Amino acid sequence: MTGPHARTPSALAGIRVVEFGPYVALPLTGRILGSLGAEVIKVETNKVLDEMSFIPAWSRGAGQPEYQRGKRRITLDVRTEAGRDLLLEMVRISDVFMTNFRRNVLDRWGIDFPEIRKQRPDAIIMWQTGLGGHGPYYTYKSFGILVQHLSGVSLMTGLPDEPPGVVNTSYSDYHTGVFQPAGIIAALMRRNLTGKTATLESSIFKSGVATGGPALLDYQVNGRGPQRRGNRDAWAVPHNVYPCAGEDRYIAIAVSDDEQWLRLRKAMGDPEWAASAEYETRLGRRRNEDALDAGIAEWTRRHESLALMENLQTAGVPAGMVSQGRDLDENAHLKSREFYQDTQYWEAERGVKATEWTEGESVSWSIPAKMSETPIPFGKYSNIGEDNAYVFGQLLGMPDGAIERLEEAGVIY
Amino acid sequence: MPRFDEYTGEHLIPPYRVLDLTDRRAAFCGRLLADYGADVVKVEPPTGDRSRTLGPYPADAPDAERSLDFLFYNTNKRSITLDLETETGQGLFRRLAADADVVIESYDRRYLADRGIGYDDLKVDNPGLVMASVTPFGSNGEWADYAGDDLVVMAASGYMQITGEPDEPPVRQGNEHSHYPGAQYAAVGILAALYYRDFADGGVGQHIDVSSQEALITYYTDAHPALLWRKLGQNVTRVGTNSTLVIPLGAYPCKDGWIAAGVITPREWDALAEWIHEVTGNDEVLNEAYRGGNQDRAEHIDIITALFLEFAENFTVQELFHEGQRRNLVFLPVNEVADLLADPQLAESGFWYDIEHGEETIGTIKYPLGIFHSEEVSARRRPAPALGADNAAVYRGELGLTAEELAALQMDGVI
Repeated sequence: MTGPHARTPSALAGIRVVEFGPYVALPLTGRILGSLGAEVIKVETNKVLDEMSFIPAWSRGAGQPEYQRGKRRITLDVRTEAGRDLLLEMVRISDVFMTNFRRNVLDRWGIDFPEIRKQRPDAIIMWQTGLGGHGPYYTYKSFGILVQHLSGVSLMTGLPDEPPGVVNTSYSDYHTGVFQPAGIIAALMRRNLTGKTATLESSIFKSGVATGGPALLDYQVNGRGPQRRGNRDAWAVPHNVYPCAGEDRYIAIAVSDDEQWLRLRKAMGDPEWAASAEYETRLGRRRNEDALDAGIAEWTRRHESLALMENLQTAGVPAGMVSQGRDLDENAHLKSREFYQDTQYWEAERGVKATEWTEGESVSWSIPAKMSETPIPFGKYSNIGEDNAYVFGQLLGMPDGAIERLEEAGVIY
Repeated sequence: MPRFDEYTGEHLIPPYRVLDLTDRRAAFCGRLLADYGADVVKVEPPTGDRSRTLGPYPADAPDAERSLDFLFYNTNKRSITLDLETETGQGLFRRLAADADVVIESYDRRYLADRGIGYDDLKVDNPGLVMASVTPFGSNGEWADYAGDDLVVMAASGYMQITGEPDEPPVRQGNEHSHYPGAQYAAVGILAALYYRDFADGGVGQHIDVSSQEALITYYTDAHPALLWRKLGQNVTRVGTNSTLVIPLGAYPCKDGWIAAGVITPREWDALAEWIHEVTGNDEVLNEAYRGGNQDRAEHIDIITALFLEFAENFTVQELFHEGQRRNLVFLPVNEVADLLADPQLAESGFWYDIEHGEETIGTIKYPLGIFHSEEVSARRRPAPALGADNAAVYRGELGLTAEELAALQMDGVI
């Protein structure tokens, strides 16, 4: 392959994936597979655009440049007979079919899994669900940010008697999005070795619960609920976030042994209060944790968080500024790793065909795994329908006239 | 293509040999591979993985074989002991790595190379080796030598900046969330590298460098702090238990706990308002000013929250959950661990795997291993290993040491 989509060498070259569905987790899976060299064909339509495009931050360029790059984007209305047939034709030449539509919707469109298997008997099928594709909740609705409550994580966060502790993001959409490519690649290996195919059903709910940690065992063994410790730790002390100079600025300091405490004490300038022999052992620090935290905070609030982090780390004390947007955007470390990259995006506008959205400049991240032999490219970001000619013309061998007719008929749209 | 004579596809991942040198910050990577079929051998120092010294323990009685932390992160792995501080230990590790498919490690970036067992050393004898390093800040760059645990990574990634209440300091997500993103990306990279080596034209292994900080930044892209700063000059911050922008959205107290509710579209609001009216008889909820999308309600947040709380207190969590869903509203329970273990959906979707620890210890425990539900494949169900449980099998059976040699190494404290 040559041109903007060429990637040499790449780990999954020769694998073709049909991605069918909106939102976060499924497109993220597609981006990862595409970045690893698979040819991912994203099927979508201008008639029903991904609702994520219209969320305020996303219309400014969040999300879509992350999740939609590195894939071929085509427009196809699968609710038409010709559209459905073209989707199935794509399945015939693909290794993987992945979707997050609900069962009744797929059935209505005639794109159910038995039909997929009929078209391509050895297809790997990844079915991403919200709460589960079978079982009592299979018709239930959910969305990302609330699944941290459902999966038990919010009642592990914060302190006892506080309301559930919330992170302002679509919690386990991300876990699901990264579990899925692992499952798909493994299923491809298994198919190569045994000739057997697999249908894998994931759920945003299960992915969230899978991250519950030892608390899931503690309840079963000791009968107790999650220990909510705020920023403190069962072992390490001091272990907290402390205020820094400026508004809403903090630093995390995590001292896990007595030697690190002595280094912190020295970095603070050996203040009198910290000289107490009581503080020299972990148990002594634990007994006086409130006073210890207050003393450290008194010192940290006089310093800028970035400089303080660098000074503490240089002195051998684990510490991290609580980064904000500007910190991340301008961070020298992330720059030297080329983590953030400039990208174009299209500003979403309701009622306007996506291909006519205004193009702008944005910033996006690169896949956080640096592979030495098959480097993961940032990847090309196509607009909706940009790859229609390639997919329908080159891959499916449709003549130009036929593509145009289907465009006019609202099938390729 | 590798030969796996015994592999019939019962598990998703072929039985690749993986040497797992990670601590708890990245142990989930090896666990994921082990749960789904890889032969993951955890290489522990003779004193045991640090996680064994951390609680919680059954009945709070410290016991290196019963740390629930260790048990959680190390299901389906085998265990050998090896002192990498000794030259003999380093030599044995080189021999083990020469036959391995994968090494995963989370040491400080120079630790292994300084001992002659970094990727560049190991690939000489084993060009097909895939090696993944998961570190707080990655293998290069200004912060590469910085140390960090969960709290430090959560802070530096900015994830804490958006966790907790707006008027209070940032809060650590209590499940040690930073342990997952880097481990998951490493697992994807490892599988892709093996695919490339064995099923594409690659033929060779490679090194994979994962920064836990970067991985965690990608796990809150909704908030996208760098973008918000660059385009609007704003910094993202915490919204708290309830959103102030979308109403209702968040967790609200009810009769016996908390209900999570998210009402976004005009149709959802109308359905909720009708339900609230049925229950409370309060006509205020039907006020035309509150109708429409969530932006339209933002200025009425106080009254709408009060109306919702007055309504919710009449119901239990389960009543609100099921009746809300019946009315096509996104209502979800705010679960404790006990609720999860009793949840009928998780029970029916093959999520919990019963693992036997033996009646004389902690009996049968449910583990959350069924990430993928499938009729064709299942996860494995072996408990985390006892320290050095597989020393004889690996050093004698596979590496070919004699009983005398193994005994001598054990005497010297190398194994």
